[in-house]
Amino acid sequence: MPEGADRHLQPAIELRNIDKSFYGVLANDNVDFALGRGEVHALLGENGAGKSTLCSVIAGLYRPDAGEMLLDGEPLICKSPKDALAAGIGMVYQHFRLVSNLTVAENLALGNPEVGIRLSQKELEEKARELGERYDFPVDPSARIWQLSVGQQQRVEILKLLYRDARILILDEPTAVLTPQEGEALFRTMRLMADEGRSLIFVSHKLHEVKRVSDRVTVLREGRVVGSAETADAEPRDLARMMVGRDLVLPTRDPNESIGEPVLAVEELVVADERGLDAVNGLSVTVHAGEVVGIAGVSGNGQRELAQGIVGLMKVKSGRVRLGGEDVTHRSVLSKIRKGIAYVPQSRLGMGLSPGLTTEDNLALKQFRRPPYARGPLLSHKVFAERGAGLIKDFDIRGVRPGLPIRLLSGGNLQKALIAREVVQDHRVLIARSPTRGLDVGATAQVREQILAERDRGIGVLLISEDLDELLALSDRLLVIYEGEIVGEMPAGEATAERLGLLMSGHREEQHP
Amino acid sequence: MTRRFIVEPRGLATWWLKLLIPVAAVIAALVIGAVFLSITGNAWLEVYKKMADTAFGSGRGFAETLVSATPLILTGVAAAIAFKMLVWNIGGEGQLIFGAITAAGVGVWLADGTPALIAVILVVAAGAVGGAFWASLSALPRVYLGTNEIITTLMLNFIALHLMQYLVYGSYSPWRDPEATQFPQGRPILDGGRIPEFFHRLDWGIFIAAAVAIFAWFVIAKTRSGFEYRIVGDSFDTARYAGIRVPRKVLGTFLASGASAGLAGSILVAGILGKMDPRSLDLGLGFTGIIVAALARLNPVAIIPVAVLMGALNNAGPSLQSIGVPSAVVMILQGAILIFAVGGEFLILNRIRRPERHVAEVKAAAEGSAA
Repeated sequence: MPEGADRHLQPAIELRNIDKSFYGVLANDNVDFALGRGEVHALLGENGAGKSTLCSVIAGLYRPDAGEMLLDGEPLICKSPKDALAAGIGMVYQHFRLVSNLTVAENLALGNPEVGIRLSQKELEEKARELGERYDFPVDPSARIWQLSVGQQQRVEILKLLYRDARILILDEPTAVLTPQEGEALFRTMRLMADEGRSLIFVSHKLHEVKRVSDRVTVLREGRVVGSAETADAEPRDLARMMVGRDLVLPTRDPNESIGEPVLAVEELVVADERGLDAVNGLSVTVHAGEVVGIAGVSGNGQRELAQGIVGLMKVKSGRVRLGGEDVTHRSVLSKIRKGIAYVPQSRLGMGLSPGLTTEDNLALKQFRRPPYARGPLLSHKVFAERGAGLIKDFDIRGVRPGLPIRLLSGGNLQKALIAREVVQDHRVLIARSPTRGLDVGATAQVREQILAERDRGIGVLLISEDLDELLALSDRLLVIYEGEIVGEMPAGEATAERLGLLMSGHREEQHP
Repeated sequence: MTRRFIVEPRGLATWWLKLLIPVAAVIAALVIGAVFLSITGNAWLEVYKKMADTAFGSGRGFAETLVSATPLILTGVAAAIAFKMLVWNIGGEGQLIFGAITAAGVGVWLADGTPALIAVILVVAAGAVGGAFWASLSALPRVYLGTNEIITTLMLNFIALHLMQYLVYGSYSPWRDPEATQFPQGRPILDGGRIPEFFHRLDWGIFIAAAVAIFAWFVIAKTRSGFEYRIVGDSFDTARYAGIRVPRKVLGTFLASGASAGLAGSILVAGILGKMDPRSLDLGLGFTGIIVAALARLNPVAIIPVAVLMGALNNAGPSLQSIGVPSAVVMILQGAILIFAVGGEFLILNRIRRPERHVAEVKAAAEGSAA
């Protein structure tokens, strides 16, 4: 691993005693942090450890409650991301800040004070192409953003910062949306940038990535820095323990011997997205009772449309969905819920939960129409409260207070509530999309246990995810979705991250004879 | 770079804060009003005394206050239930007027011998149906074609107003009184169709209005349908996910909103007016209902006291002229109350605190809970 020559001298940016709180919770508690010049510095920590907050403070999005920042030894006060960018600090957020109807070059020009009133499209494109080549990072400058894959959009975000000649680049969980191969390409580019003397902050909660790309690693837990070390000297085990605060074992899967009858059969399904394009294109998959079928794929290859088509939220153009042999293709959402399809959507607050209602209300979201929740047209608030309290206890949902809107719970607790509700209702099939996305190690373990428990009690689970670790840990059988079609299928024993990664990026395997 | 004050979203506002802020808004508005009155050379205390006396000082005055409050409760409920579901029905005005048209139409059309109870029910219900129909002209295109209901409801206000004026001033329609020779006037409805008065000019309409507000609260808080309504109002996607038929729910709410405004029209016609009197129906009661709903923070029960307050101000206004103060003072007060209440909303949603003290508190609390 190349060493930045002078990164032990004065740091590029230094943070001292940074405090930042939200809702009375300290997200950053007296944080000290120093980023060396030409260094790739990994920020490691569970969800809610304060990584994103710290990055946002450095990038000028949040102002710290207390503490100071020094840029090249000089005090720095950023009132906005604009100030930070002017000082050479830029951030690639998890949710991209791109205008999807504009071209790559136009997005680079946006908000850039050096671009005058007159816009030279040609000059811009030339510059974008040159930057892309320099960093081994090709993108077509005249392409419009919506035409690009998520990985390419991320490149545009990075090019935006390079175009402004940012010296300090903050990448907030950049690999979450990439295939393993795209991740490798990103790491090469990060290395090139660091070798030029730029300093990078790399946020991740994946240890192997941190080992692979960073020079130095700082671990955050509950808003505090719990350790900082040269990556080469740090043992993954130790990092994991620092991150979680204890030894933690993720549940492992025993092969399931007792796979039953097919409970969910999707046959030649075609579902169009909002633009009318066939996002799911003649896809077939069968899930048996007591089986976890994993569907791997890069985000945006029809996963959303597949899940929503099955549960009835999107219209099925053609094909069949059978539930235990019964054709339910065109039944309403409610009828499918009653027939036993449980669904954990990707967006917790956007779809799975009603953000402004209380936790107890949300736990009743699918069952409130029936006794004991409802007696005739009237609802029993007592039953809401009692059943809710039971689930909150059983599923260890924390932070609930009477009358508190559920949106104020943390991501892990939101997901626990969502899964609790879905698994306690009568159901035969569970469709889960990226159920551990964004969760910390502890919550991830709990969610995985729930899914395996579902399987063991004979539920058919369709796990649609972009997280290969999750898929490999839980699935009995793995399928790969690419552009709305299944391009590969294998038993869990034969699946590796490399093989899945290739299939996910569209490389078809030779048919085995 | 430590900051002096920090403004941040408040997780959960306490009930006393939710009560305190509107009360403080009213007091602040009265202070502003007093300053304004003093600058213009009026004895502000005298003016406020006169207003309080007119609105609450006598049985007759209080009856008039409640008479003014009655339609405001209903148009307030109309606005609140729609807004809470993010349906921007600002057509309470037109729905009220069209409700008055249908109510007066039924009241004029009913045969003389109709039993009073049946006649009253028919006339009052006709207003609700009329209001719901007028709302449906905006609601159906909104739900099934995605048109913007702000524009359609607003436009339909003008159409309803001119339709009413045409029926009385511009034509010899059944709504026009054939015996009014001096100036065109609405034809009185059947006597049996009138809502009985029980205290000065106050009639039973106030109870209908209050019952509608309480019923709206009850449905929202206690019923299956109300739970669905709250989910839809919170997140369309979540509602769809939970198996709720969102378009139908939005349509139902929109029509209920129109019915409530229409009821305001029919209670005016069957109550104090006794006919479709275009001048008395064109007072902006639908728009004032929006202010009432906003002040009540869209809570149907809170609408009742807020409507009484607004009714009191409306009632007190004209009396000020007897002491040489323009009745527009009332509008200044109403406007100021709204501005302060909207500003106060910021304090309900956010809190302002000092940073250091808070950090110390959080640390102490964390250590306390760890121990």
